[in-house]
Amino acid sequence: MAVDLSMPVLVVDDYKTMIRIIRNLLKQLGFSDVDDAADGTEALGKMRERKYGLVISDWNMEPMTGYELLKEVRTDDGLARTPFIMVTAESKTENVIAAKKAGVNNYIVKPFNAATLKSKIDAVFGE
Amino acid sequence: MSSKSHAEVLAAADGLREKDDISLVDVLTLAEASIQSMKSFIDSLDSKVYSEFREIAGYIQKTKSEIGHLQANDLRSKRIPEAGDELSAIVTSTEEATTQIMECAEAILEADTEDHEAYQKLVNDKVLTIFESCSFQDLTGQRISRVVETLEHIESRVGRFAAAIGAEDSCDVLDEKEEKREKRKKDLILNGPANDGEGVSQDDIDALLNG
Repeated sequence: MAVDLSMPVLVVDDYKTMIRIIRNLLKQLGFSDVDDAADGTEALGKMRERKYGLVISDWNMEPMTGYELLKEVRTDDGLARTPFIMVTAESKTENVIAAKKAGVNNYIVKPFNAATLKSKIDAVFGE
Repeated sequence: MSSKSHAEVLAAADGLREKDDISLVDVLTLAEASIQSMKSFIDSLDSKVYSEFREIAGYIQKTKSEIGHLQANDLRSKRIPEAGDELSAIVTSTEEATTQIMECAEAILEADTEDHEAYQKLVNDKVLTIFESCSFQDLTGQRISRVVETLEHIESRVGRFAAAIGAEDSCDVLDEKEEKREKRKKDLILNGPANDGEGVSQDDIDALLNG
């Protein structure tokens, strides 16, 4: 399946600078419709109002973490199939295993580069 | 009470019980013997209590002196707030520098490349701003050194105090707020960024996900 560069992408991070970095990287990769949210609660609200083709989320946020957001998304019939990539500084094995069990599609550890982001997005969409 | 005086008192009491006619002198003699035997006990008790009180007073004096060396007021009112201010300044300066650098990069990416001369000038200006923005690293390094100095100061004072009073760590010292925070960290697996050699690499993560 080819990556649809026009699909809406939701970037979730509580750090404005990181949102800006990921937005710029996605723009360089050709994505034109990028939205953002500052935590899981805001992201969930946006996801229930609009269908996103991909969610790229940080783990450690308040009040709702990216891990909680992932579990909420996977148990919501309307959102369960949304591709979800975790981009986080949490790099312990237990985090990766928990995310995998919760149904994450890919996992990127910070700091990362554009090539890693591209390869993980491609992998999620089977390219 | 010595065993000899105790035995004497008991013998005198037994002697009195066997007598039909007990005089006041007999009773006073027994009372005197009792007092004598108690006196030696009270004397020994006084001396022991006095020595224990002296020991406690010495300990209190030493602890007061160590509390003074701890400089708790200086730590609470000056050093810790100053270290907090330094850390806030680090966050602000790194954020400002990152924003400036990204703005420059964004301006270069969005610039019109048709006008070659204008484009070159813009790139030169933005690259210069990027270099200037990177000077935050020097100031940040100095601020971090001051925070490390404060932490070392606290470590040394607290370490000396703990050693002086022979402190042992208690198990349940977290207040309600700290307990709640720790529980959240545990439940939501919030480990934070790993130190060198602690976390797994991107390759390991890929293997875990695909395994």
